[in-house]
Amino acid sequence: MKKVLLKNIENPDSALLTEYMRVGGYKNLKSAVKEMTPRDIIDDVKESGLRGRGGAGFPTGMKWQFASMDPKFPKYLVCNADEGEPGTFKDRPILEKNPHLLIEGMVIAAYALQCSRGYIYLRGEYPQAKVILESAIDEAYKKGFLGDDILKRHFKFNLSVYQGAGAYICGEETALIESLEGRRGQPRIKPPFPVNAGLWGRPTIVNNVETFANIPLIIEIGPKSYAAIGNTACPGPKLFSVSGCVKRPGVYELPMGTTLKEIVYEHCGGLVDGRTLKGIIPGGLSTPILTPDKIDCAMDFVNLPKAGSQLGSGAVMVFDDSVCLVKVYERAMKFFEHESCGKCTPCREGTGWMRNILGRIECGRATAEDVDTLIDVANNISGATFCPLGDGAAGVVLAFVNNYRDEIDYHIKYKKCC
Amino acid sequence: MITITIDGKKVEVEKDTTLLQIALAKDIDIPHLCWDDRIRPFGGCRLCVVEVEGYDRLLSACSTPPENGMVIYTNSEAVINARKAVLDMLLIHHPLDCPVCDKAGNCKLQDLAYKYGSTESAFKEEKKHAVSAESPFIELNPNRCILCGKCVRVCWEHQGVGAINLIDKGFNTKISPAFQEVLDCEFCGQCVDACPVGALGSKPFKYMSLAWFLEERDNICPYCSVGCTITLNVRERRIISAKGVKNKGVNNGDLCGRGRYGVDFVYAANRLTTPLIRENGMLRQSTWDEVMQYLSIHLRKIIKTKGPDSIGAIGSPRCTIEDNYMLQKFMRSVIGTNNIDSDRFGYAKIQQAVEMTFGLHTLPISLNSPLDKDVLLVLESDITSTHPIWGLKFIEAVQKGAKLIVMDPRETKLSKRSSKWLRIKPGTSQAILNGIMKAAIDKGLHLKNKRSREAGNLDALIQLLKAYTIQQVSDIAEICSREFTEVIDMFLKGERRLTAITIGPAENNKGLGTALAASNMVMLLGDGPQALQMPATYSNTYGMWQMGITPDYLPGYEKITDKPGKNIFKMLYEKGQISALFIIGEDPLITYPDLNKLEEVLGSLDLIIAQDIRLTKTAEKFAHIVLPAASWAEKEGTFINAAGIRQKVNKIVEPATDATPDWKIFRNLSRAMHHPIGMDDLSALKEKIHQIKLHIGDEKWNYVPVPYEEMDPPDDDYPLLMVSGNIMQHSGAFSVMSKSLSHVFADSFVQINEYDAEFFGLKDGDIVTIESKRGQAKTKVRISDEVSRGMVFVPLHLKDSRMSELYVAYEGFAAPIIAVKIRK
Repeated sequence: MKKVLLKNIENPDSALLTEYMRVGGYKNLKSAVKEMTPRDIIDDVKESGLRGRGGAGFPTGMKWQFASMDPKFPKYLVCNADEGEPGTFKDRPILEKNPHLLIEGMVIAAYALQCSRGYIYLRGEYPQAKVILESAIDEAYKKGFLGDDILKRHFKFNLSVYQGAGAYICGEETALIESLEGRRGQPRIKPPFPVNAGLWGRPTIVNNVETFANIPLIIEIGPKSYAAIGNTACPGPKLFSVSGCVKRPGVYELPMGTTLKEIVYEHCGGLVDGRTLKGIIPGGLSTPILTPDKIDCAMDFVNLPKAGSQLGSGAVMVFDDSVCLVKVYERAMKFFEHESCGKCTPCREGTGWMRNILGRIECGRATAEDVDTLIDVANNISGATFCPLGDGAAGVVLAFVNNYRDEIDYHIKYKKCC
Repeated sequence: MITITIDGKKVEVEKDTTLLQIALAKDIDIPHLCWDDRIRPFGGCRLCVVEVEGYDRLLSACSTPPENGMVIYTNSEAVINARKAVLDMLLIHHPLDCPVCDKAGNCKLQDLAYKYGSTESAFKEEKKHAVSAESPFIELNPNRCILCGKCVRVCWEHQGVGAINLIDKGFNTKISPAFQEVLDCEFCGQCVDACPVGALGSKPFKYMSLAWFLEERDNICPYCSVGCTITLNVRERRIISAKGVKNKGVNNGDLCGRGRYGVDFVYAANRLTTPLIRENGMLRQSTWDEVMQYLSIHLRKIIKTKGPDSIGAIGSPRCTIEDNYMLQKFMRSVIGTNNIDSDRFGYAKIQQAVEMTFGLHTLPISLNSPLDKDVLLVLESDITSTHPIWGLKFIEAVQKGAKLIVMDPRETKLSKRSSKWLRIKPGTSQAILNGIMKAAIDKGLHLKNKRSREAGNLDALIQLLKAYTIQQVSDIAEICSREFTEVIDMFLKGERRLTAITIGPAENNKGLGTALAASNMVMLLGDGPQALQMPATYSNTYGMWQMGITPDYLPGYEKITDKPGKNIFKMLYEKGQISALFIIGEDPLITYPDLNKLEEVLGSLDLIIAQDIRLTKTAEKFAHIVLPAASWAEKEGTFINAAGIRQKVNKIVEPATDATPDWKIFRNLSRAMHHPIGMDDLSALKEKIHQIKLHIGDEKWNYVPVPYEEMDPPDDDYPLLMVSGNIMQHSGAFSVMSKSLSHVFADSFVQINEYDAEFFGLKDGDIVTIESKRGQAKTKVRISDEVSRGMVFVPLHLKDSRMSELYVAYEGFAAPIIAVKIRK
């Protein structure tokens, strides 16, 4: 398949406006603004079947429609570039190598949704992306793709980068909005949803970097051709960031619905010789681990839940038999404990408690009852937390304990890794 | 209305509410820790979860609105298990140091653990040991904290301060001031009352008593005129602490710092316990018998030789209506004079203005008045300091979407929450009001309402206002004319307007002219007196006026037409007007202006009787007889708050040794003078007061046009304008007696802008001399951007500053702001 999201990425100057325009950049913006009404664009995005690439997979067209139906103005457009989950680095190539694709997608979205102000909420730990994005925004302003009179069509959209302070929770859209307003990053009560009352209480559309990057393609090839790419239930190109025990880790642009097997063995060159596969986390740390027998599962929003996991951000983490999974999950839980915002009791106290227990198992200080307590705590967190962060943390522990109980018991019995 | 089913019962409910509120109203107990009806739902503690049919997850009742046909279970097995799990998690880090916790016995976590908790936790690791930020007054104990965040949200959303927040995240989250600096806030203690556990406490009450030894007794707060109900914790007949209790009183549980921490003035070291008599220039202890005899002889002698009109009295807005009624009765029938007045520098101006314009003898405010308005105008009034709990209503109104316009050179809590804040030149509110009226007339708004058109003197007003164009007023007030136009538009466009001004004796930035201009404006716009809120100052200022503590009114606002008495300006600032003075609950040497003149007059009097709860400066220096009065908590009586509501003051503790309620002192004195006035006990006295007919006057509108003037314009010699006022923690006599409140602020200070400080070569903390045309005072410099350039601000009433020496006793229309210079 021809690369769209990572188009021209081999070119060392791909982030420059001239290079982007040389390969057809901003052509779709022009045709959208000149030939289509906002209504047409929203209809096309709906028809395309594009689902949000941030993790939850909410249909983008539906989100846009809800926001456009709200009579309140101004409306805000926010790009969620707070890519912070371990294993996830798929947005980074777009931000650093193809920033104009994101900007073009956002300007088309702003036109469709009649937003006059946009923000790119950028992960605090992407300092280089900030420099690149800001210079790309500058270029776009100079060329008239951003500003008070875009393409001389009396259409106004101003865009700036806002750098987060390094909290994972700010990837949750309401916490992101709180942070953007200058407050402590904590999720808000829903409803009201951001599409009706988001930033400063106004209708706000928050989409992932990759979601916006798909918009120009929909304009270019039309919703029908777009819907034909990959899985028909959730079509389109998808970025997979593959890490762990494979020969060629990296970001791969493949059609939605490519199987795990194809990703690991064809595109990433398979495992190191002589090792066997132990498990795969398919969609970032907060998605449940899959055992090797699920290797034929297609990577999309439909098939992964059937296999007991989720697509999440499409961050594939591959573990072979040299890896101690207890250690992996102790480390994972350290992450969740550290990143729990502290707002709700189960997540704040529970993630730390689970990390404690996993730590004891890893160090060989645990007893058999500790595993029961771990399951108990995870069950108590599941479904009781304020936002999905705590749910995710509990979910991955439960999946790990269910699928790898032998390895845990070995740790407790022999006080070492198997 | 929609129908939902809770625990099998069908109920009709409003749509605009939450499941938790519905349940609580129906007496269904859903435990909750982070919810409070004063603030927005948070949904953090997860204790209030309920099961709703059709949902996989349990939903938090505090944040879930009802939907038609919803079926809810508040006590199912899943719900109970979830509650237990949450409690288990809350307790893993709680230190369980209940034996040494002041909250024990009154702690929500303790109660819930008792109800749901298991005795053993599966948690085996080390509990957290967080280090607390330092704080002078409020104890922060982060280990006990369950992070419900109620304190943070009450402080910001309800109190409008934002002194504390959650810092760090996850497991390490804790409550702290920004950057873990020392807590520096207004110390209202609302966070302490909001805390469901013992994580926030009041240092003054630490280790004073366990909750179950305390007896709760309600009383009306002795400080400002809002008249909040405070619940006093009493142990062995001693007041230990004070708190606000939900659903009690006009304040509904809210309290300010003065009310919460200031009640310890009852036990101040300088309380009077016996009568004192001056002998050879020194005051010595005496007995009631001796002083009564002395007074009886000397008062009768003065009446005989110099006539009854040579005796005067000053009543107190802090005494009950019973006390004040007896004072005026004693003066009018035993002595035979109308020479009775009170602190005339504050509320008297409002009284005067209301009578001159609306034809009313009294104008109470309404405590909820800000809530149903769409635009609020506050002129040079720091309402959250002078009337803290009423001030909260302005913040609440803003939260509900009202526009708040603040005109003030000082940054106040309301200016921070305002929609528009203009830093006008001190004392120019009157010009601003004239400017608004001029704009209204230009738009023809004065013709809209029949009453506005037909009120007297309209032509004279229109004539006067010609000089108050937007440009001219902007020049006077030193503001940008474009911004002023915007504000005028915002205000005049409002459909339900409210204008608020406070004029307390400590505030010199508004004068009679300001009150008149505001009254003119509400008449001109057709909004009427109800749209103008000018509250009384102290706990019983309103009641004192109603009891006729004024030379020209009898109790019930009955005007004295034949022979009014002498007012304070005559009695205290003109030599030879009187030769004996009865001072009740006032300390003129601290609070009255023009100290040099005042001392001269007081020094010339034959007899000064000071009746107070403590030895005042005036008593110490000039009184011949000092009578010990019972304090507010030691006697029964009635206060009337600024809204005209009568509230019973209860006797909570026994009086200090020989201290006697003021009303009883007058009764005894009249008996000693062989002129008993009846009303031998409190019930007879109350009955008498009950019978007083109120003459509130016939409302008849009449414009009183007053040009804006400066009383004491600054010049090259005296370049700064000195504004005085109250601060959050101090409002006068009682607050400076409070050990707790004096812990926060005790010494006097002057606030100055950093540019001016640099210009005059001053550094923070310098001791400076402030000089006016009348005198000078020494105090400490505080550099602050709360004040604008060209002005300084001093809080009155603080110890030993002699600030009042700088002031002038002024009877005119202008705001009595004085020009000063400042030097090291």
